[in-house]
Amino acid sequence: MSSDLLNIAASGVRAARAGLDVTSQNIANASTQGYVRRTLRQSEVALAGGYGRIGDLSLSGVRIDGLQRNADMFRQAEVRRTSGDATRAGDELKTWQNVEAALEQARIFPALTQFEGALQRLATDPVDPSLRTAVLEDARTLTKTFNIAANGLDTVATGLQFDAASGVGQVNLFAQQLAQLNVHLARATPGSSDQVSLLDRRDALLQNLSGQADVSASFAADQTVTVRIGGASGPTLVSGNTSATLASATAGDGTLSFTLGASPVTLSSGSLAAAAQGLVMVRDTKARLDAVADALIATANAAQGSGVALDGSPGQPLFSGSGAAGIALALNSGAQLATAPAGSPAGSRDPANLTAIRAALSTADISGQASGLLFEVASATQGRKLTSETLDSIADAARLALDSQAGVNLDEEAVNLVRYQQAFQASSKAIQVASDMFDTLLAIR
Amino acid sequence: MTTVSTSAFYERSNQDLAALRARADALQAAISSGQRLTTGSDDPVAAARMRRLTRSDSFAEIDQAVAARASSDLTLTDQALSSFAASLIRVQELATQAANGVLTNGQRAGIATELDQIRDEMVRLANTRDSAGHALFGGDSAGNAYSIGAGGVPLYVGTLTASDLPLGDGQSVTRGLTGPEFLNFSLGGSPTDLFAVVKVLSDALKGAVPDPAQAARDALGALDTGLEAITTQQTVVGARLNWIDLNTERATQMGQLRAEEEAEVGGTDLALAVSQLQQTMTVLEASQASFARLASLSLFDMLR
Repeated sequence: MSSDLLNIAASGVRAARAGLDVTSQNIANASTQGYVRRTLRQSEVALAGGYGRIGDLSLSGVRIDGLQRNADMFRQAEVRRTSGDATRAGDELKTWQNVEAALEQARIFPALTQFEGALQRLATDPVDPSLRTAVLEDARTLTKTFNIAANGLDTVATGLQFDAASGVGQVNLFAQQLAQLNVHLARATPGSSDQVSLLDRRDALLQNLSGQADVSASFAADQTVTVRIGGASGPTLVSGNTSATLASATAGDGTLSFTLGASPVTLSSGSLAAAAQGLVMVRDTKARLDAVADALIATANAAQGSGVALDGSPGQPLFSGSGAAGIALALNSGAQLATAPAGSPAGSRDPANLTAIRAALSTADISGQASGLLFEVASATQGRKLTSETLDSIADAARLALDSQAGVNLDEEAVNLVRYQQAFQASSKAIQVASDMFDTLLAIR
Repeated sequence: MTTVSTSAFYERSNQDLAALRARADALQAAISSGQRLTTGSDDPVAAARMRRLTRSDSFAEIDQAVAARASSDLTLTDQALSSFAASLIRVQELATQAANGVLTNGQRAGIATELDQIRDEMVRLANTRDSAGHALFGGDSAGNAYSIGAGGVPLYVGTLTASDLPLGDGQSVTRGLTGPEFLNFSLGGSPTDLFAVVKVLSDALKGAVPDPAQAARDALGALDTGLEAITTQQTVVGARLNWIDLNTERATQMGQLRAEEEAEVGGTDLALAVSQLQQTMTVLEASQASFARLASLSLFDMLR
């Protein structure tokens, strides 16, 4: 007999104790982010019978093979992919909402209505100084609302650029950590608690990385990971113990481009992709807003120029500057409004040019352009909201699927706790039996 | 076998409760503000429609103010025309008196003095100011409608026509009359004005012609034509006032229609919102209760 009862029982006690350890580790980490439930892998130790020893009983107890991580690679990849998409959609929606708020809260449209209303009111008495001043002040308010909207859009763009800069920093940090982790993983013994916690760390880093950019990971036999950025055919971010550095460049119009080493990277999911797309969108919206402001400046100034002011002098431009950020009031007195047609004497009450100004504003449809811009942004935001909700629920489903499989269920652990406790007690009893048997043998006289 | 991990259970409960809470919040905000739309992206089409409606509302408000202004100017015009008519009738009485052959030259000179007074009064009346202090009968003139030229002859210095005031939706009304429109008329094919007629009569009574009584009788016909011109223009003013009333009434009706549409497009349907809120609250309470029951279930409590 190559082994004895004491040894078998002792291995049982060891295994049960390890099982209790694993169970309580699971319970302790029930709410730890990224923790994957471990189970104990154990196998029987028994010698195969040899020549001439066919009938032998050669049992040696149980062996602890190692820890098993109950992580499904496919579900993990799904969680990475869907959460990257959901993050991109969520961030994109946030940008659109910010742009919508910047345009709506600037109240360009009400200010435009107010300005046109003041011109309409002036028609009752074109020489009334208070009505003229009212027009001038409403025009001033209008220029300020354009300035505020442009400023709001700039703030959104600055925020996005800041987000992108910190996102690029994070991607590089994660990539460096993954490269270091690859070194440790290559050395770790399979099934050891060391390797299992390294794997948890690796998966958490990949998860974080996919929140920033779309990455594809491929795993080697020794569990080290190779990461490509910008899709499966993108350049390699992490390979073995080396990591490349992602860099971003801001163009003159505020849009972003990414490079890894010398090769350009196009991102389609994650926060960085959302920031890059958001900056393009902010630039386009700003161009639209500038177009509305420029149309207002051109229309009002042209109409003003074809009339004469209260003192009979030719009408001077109403607005100066260009674009939503640059538009400013050029007149400093209500008397300078050219309400009378060219050739009228000083103090004329003839409202012909005032009518022309109003008609020009109405023909150029400035308010329609402003309303159209608001409508486009609002409906784009609404569309993004729907996309974001859909992608969110898909990502939630993927995460729940992974959690159900890899997460800790306290009821199950409670059962395991009882089971291993009983195994421990039973193996202890076996030691007792071995001791009793030994005593029995010794007691023979 | 699908097992639900403990953290997944808590996370899902959390998401569900938060979603219900957010829905209840949105309904509560809609009820308390009376507005269905908080941002444009809630319903872009309705928001664009609301923008158009509020724009029309604010313009309609100004149209009302303009109409009130036009109405007051035209009422002033009407009153001034009545004063002109009264003065003219007095001139007619005096002319009738002067036409009587028994009057002495001295008595006629006295009548002529009164006529001069009335004429001065009429010149002052022609220079009446409107509510904003502008010449009522001067069209778009910056100063007086009439200035006194050589020999005390009043000359019209205003513009040819009075300007139009917009009443909204493309409608407009002429804000008043110019002096020549009711003071000038043609007499026997040649153009003249009321001031000239009175002046000729007064000069005749002072002895500029050999037969003042005949001159007074001749003047009566001219005065009749002048009165006719004034009453005709009074009718025009009355018609314009009616036109303003008609437009105001139409604007009020349009305003009501707009308000109805605004309530329909952007307002909260209270009955619907309250019942939806009640439904959400019921579901929320049920979810909270079931969550509390499930979360308190633990095998650890059962194992002793």
